[in-house]
Amino acid sequence: MINFENVSKYALNNVSIHIPKGEIVGLIGASGAGKTTMIKLSCGLLAPESGRVYTLDKNPVLNRKLYKNNISTFIAGVPLLCHDDTVSQGFELIRNMYGIEKTEFHKRYEKLSEQLDFGKYESQSVKNLSLGQRMRAELGAALIYEPKLLLLDEPNVGLDENGKSVLCEILTERCKNGMTVLMTSHDMSGVSKMCGRIALLDGGKLVFYGSEDNLRSRYAPIDVMRVKICGNIPDFEDLPLKKYFVQGDILTLSYNSNHITSAEILKLILRQTSVSEVSIRKPSLESIISQLKKGGYYELY
Amino acid sequence: MRLSPYIAYAKKCFLGRSAYRFDHIMDIISTCMQFFIFCEIYKALYGGSSEIDGITMPMITTNFVLAMGLNAVFYPDDYFLPNKIWDGSIATELLRPISFKGRMIAENLGNALFSLIFHFLPVLIIAVLTVGVSAPASAVMFLLFLLSAALGFGVLWAISFAVQMTAFWLINIWSLITIKNVFVNVLSGSMIPLWFMPEWMRGVLDFTPFSSIYFTPVQIYLGQLSYGEIALKCAVQLVWIAVIYLVGDILWKKGQQKLVVQGG
Repeated sequence: MINFENVSKYALNNVSIHIPKGEIVGLIGASGAGKTTMIKLSCGLLAPESGRVYTLDKNPVLNRKLYKNNISTFIAGVPLLCHDDTVSQGFELIRNMYGIEKTEFHKRYEKLSEQLDFGKYESQSVKNLSLGQRMRAELGAALIYEPKLLLLDEPNVGLDENGKSVLCEILTERCKNGMTVLMTSHDMSGVSKMCGRIALLDGGKLVFYGSEDNLRSRYAPIDVMRVKICGNIPDFEDLPLKKYFVQGDILTLSYNSNHITSAEILKLILRQTSVSEVSIRKPSLESIISQLKKGGYYELY
Repeated sequence: MRLSPYIAYAKKCFLGRSAYRFDHIMDIISTCMQFFIFCEIYKALYGGSSEIDGITMPMITTNFVLAMGLNAVFYPDDYFLPNKIWDGSIATELLRPISFKGRMIAENLGNALFSLIFHFLPVLIIAVLTVGVSAPASAVMFLLFLLSAALGFGVLWAISFAVQMTAFWLINIWSLITIKNVFVNVLSGSMIPLWFMPEWMRGVLDFTPFSSIYFTPVQIYLGQLSYGEIALKCAVQLVWIAVIYLVGDILWKKGQQKLVVQGG
């Protein structure tokens, strides 16, 4: 869908990435890492300084007209709906612009307005809406013409928890039908929930690109297991544990999940004693990213 | 190219204008006041004489009501592009499946139509009832006046278009727009009828696009031009539209390139 070949532009430095069809790719990284630049390069709003960008197999800068019905770009802070219009007027204008047939459009509108819940203020003008309300309507506007490629720049800004999970549902559903999404976000739990792949930018370089599990096993393989034991404290001498400590009847173990699975540890414990409660904590995407930023997890490798 | 989105934009603009009624009524009053003040000044200047240099008082008032009326109608939104560059929404505009220039024209036409009906006509009626306005020289001349006025709008639009395109580089072009408007107002005859300009000045003005905005239609309306002269003047208008539009279009293309290379 999108192909970057050794692209440099602003902060971005020699980035190559391929975004396959039907995938939701989350672009993460600190502010100024080049996330928005990547979005703008993908839709042809920016031209690369060096290297090449292909979107739908074409140079997006030169073929912008061709894309207009295939790509939907949503950049937070850049309005899709006119300020003076009411929400439904804004949508009617979009229908007109994209030449979508009326009954079909109505069907899509009904569905989106129910999902994103902007139907109840459709007769209010956009400028009177709260940030979250406006974001819901604008996301609807970005989705309604059913683009093949959706580029989202921080779509979660201003959305409440319900809005975030609805967006996640819609995108997941759309991607099953072949839509591709490239999105930037600072909402790690959202990214973790919906993105099949994560692209991590740091200082203009693509430091990681792959699934979340992949990221975890590479940069944050340390899992923490808490076991409530009834009986003797088991002996772990042979196991490659990072560390363990005992507090009353609670045993806390941390270990590298690349070297040993939790099942193996548990099996060993159960052989020696009995257990009443087990919980395993893997590091959240958020903590991995913040640790990565500090350079904490790098030392493992 | 489908026309319906452009019509939708024109309609939106037309209806949008009707939302601010108070502002609109004030606009009409301001045009009328300007008109009366100018008429009184010229009445005083004439000091009772029926004509000066072959220009009669009714010609003056007719010039003012037509030029000011057209001035009210010909009001392209000079900040259409600058505003969009300023707030960054130019980005989404460029990714829309319709022509940006087409949309700009559509919105300006929607505006102009509204002003024609609700600004020009009321002012015209008030002027006819109070000061009196000459009838057009003939029905044919009136039709030619309409044609030439439309072309005048084209010239003014092209100037505004070209000036706006500099916003890609200058970002804030308030001063440039103000200068443009001063030129348009003074040199096109909507403040001082061009008859009273010195001969050399009129010679110079004939080589600028300004005199073809309001003054050409007014002259046609008053029957001061022969058919040959009308054809020539309209051709001049067409040439100005083409030349200025082309300059604007080059800037437009360069501007987009600049946007893509340097970012908005």
